[in-house]
Amino acid sequence: MSQILRFHLNGNPAEVMAGEAETLLDTLREGLGLTSPKCGCNRGDCGACTVILNGNAVKSCTVLALTVEGKSVWTVDGLVDGERAGEPEGGESPAPRSLSGHKLHPVQTAFHEYGAPQCGYCTPGMVMAAVAFLDRNPSPTEEEVKDALSGNLCRCGGYKKYVQAVMAAARGEFDPLPERSGRNV
Amino acid sequence: MREYEYHAPLSLERLFELAEAEGMEVRFLAGGTDLMPRISAERNQIPRDRKPPMRIIYLGGLGLDEVTDDGESVTIGATASLSALLDNGAVRTKLPALHEALREMAGVSVRNTATIGGNIMNASPAADSVPPLLVLGAECLLRSAAGERRVALSEFFTGPGKTVARPGELLVSVTVKPGRGGSAFRKLGRRKAETLSVVNAAACVELRDGLCESVRIAVGSAAPVVVRCTGAEQALVGKKIDENSVREAGALVVKALSPIDDIRSSAWYRARVAPTMVARALLAAAERKRG
Ligand SMILES: Cc1cc2nc3c(=O)[nH]c(=O)nc-3n(C[C@H](O)[C@H](O)[C@H](O)COP(=O)(O)OP(=O)(O)OC[C@H]3O[C@@H](n4cnc5c(N)ncnc54)[C@H](O)[C@@H]3O)c2cc1C
Ligand code: FES
Ligand code: FES
Repeated sequence: MSQILRFHLNGNPAEVMAGEAETLLDTLREGLGLTSPKCGCNRGDCGACTVILNGNAVKSCTVLALTVEGKSVWTVDGLVDGERAGEPEGGESPAPRSLSGHKLHPVQTAFHEYGAPQCGYCTPGMVMAAVAFLDRNPSPTEEEVKDALSGNLCRCGGYKKYVQAVMAAARGEFDPLPERSGRNV
Repeated sequence: MREYEYHAPLSLERLFELAEAEGMEVRFLAGGTDLMPRISAERNQIPRDRKPPMRIIYLGGLGLDEVTDDGESVTIGATASLSALLDNGAVRTKLPALHEALREMAGVSVRNTATIGGNIMNASPAADSVPPLLVLGAECLLRSAAGERRVALSEFFTGPGKTVARPGELLVSVTVKPGRGGSAFRKLGRRKAETLSVVNAAACVELRDGLCESVRIAVGSAAPVVVRCTGAEQALVGKKIDENSVREAGALVVKALSPIDDIRSSAWYRARVAPTMVARALLAAAERKRG
């Protein structure tokens, strides 16, 4: 059996049928075709499924989908700048763009520039954990960053670069961090 | 496959109506960090035996997440998230052992959804909030269609995953009277974050003229339920809390334990490290009282 679920997804109203015992992760991936949250363990251990729920990073495999009725959910898909950024400028290393040509969030840019992702499976979860954290604490210490990412496992083992990249994003090494950019809605 | 029902009542009246369901397994859902992995695992398996339908009742719409401090006691609503409690001033200043436990529970993203009521009701011997709540003398408020009752946390757990709560009975809140004691919590996990305890310990110490007037010690993950260590407590009364006395008390702790081998640790290792964790919690609690 399933029920209709209405919530806000990346700032837009969303409506989908969700099974009564289905996880938010399954609803996003299978009901809505949004495959950026990954399933690494389906039991809360790995963080690959991390999304932002009402402004907080959560593991979407531990959230029953129907409980997000009326709440707001953000995935990496919602982070790119609304406007298409146009063609990348030439030069040595043009600013990275999303596949659709949009400008990336500074955390994404930093991950890219620092070469943090290897296979990339843990990356969407890492991005969302880092964004939720920086929304709250825009000038963190390295220890605080490690703490914020402690629920996100990386099988490739690239932890150090992820932490360095988050510090760089916080310093504004690329673009300045946006305001909480509505991720609380 | 097993059938599931989902309800999100907005009042306790409705909740208790729903909680009475013949021929169904009724399950309350708070944060879901313990329950959802269990449900997903079950749904991913070929069912061996026919299970009755599960009725899932979500507690998030009931406003049971408030923390109130009337000066003498602190009452924590069952659905308060671990993150909210970690940020709560009354918890930080008046219940330091609980604050320390919250800091070491899981990681941020689990704490954002996980609730204190879920941690208690899941009744894991490794539940990190339980030793602090035990040494702080916590009391649980249970409610069902039949009415309310209060049960001391020390009498709440009957085995791994088992409590005195009857089917359909809701944990509403837990109340703690901090008193004059200093309290502390120490956890040994296999790593620093996102891991259940190999052994954990909490202590609450009251001092008079530098000597231990009364003390409570609790150890988790080393017996079927979290245990108080009365033998060690008695041995400390009237003594100075120092390296020597806590080592002696720690040795007595083992008598109260019945550790097992599991995926996190061996029984042998648990018995070896429990005294050390107790000694550390005791020293930190006494220091907090002095400082
Ligand atoms: C990656 C990970 C790390 C973890 N680390 C730790 C850790 O370090 N320490 C630790 O102690 N735990 C840890 N846990 C376990 C878990 O997160 C906690 O036990 C948490 O507090 C459970 O709360 P919940 O709200 O998510 O419970 P839920 O999963 O919603 O519920 C758990 C059980 O309690 C019942 N229940 C919930 N609320 C009530 C109520 N008010 N009245 C009656 N019954 C109720 C439910 O029916 C269910 O049986 C971890 C879990 C994960 C996935
Ligand atoms: S898939 Fe959710 S934590 Fe691993
Ligand atoms: S980059 Fe491969 S898991 Fe993290």
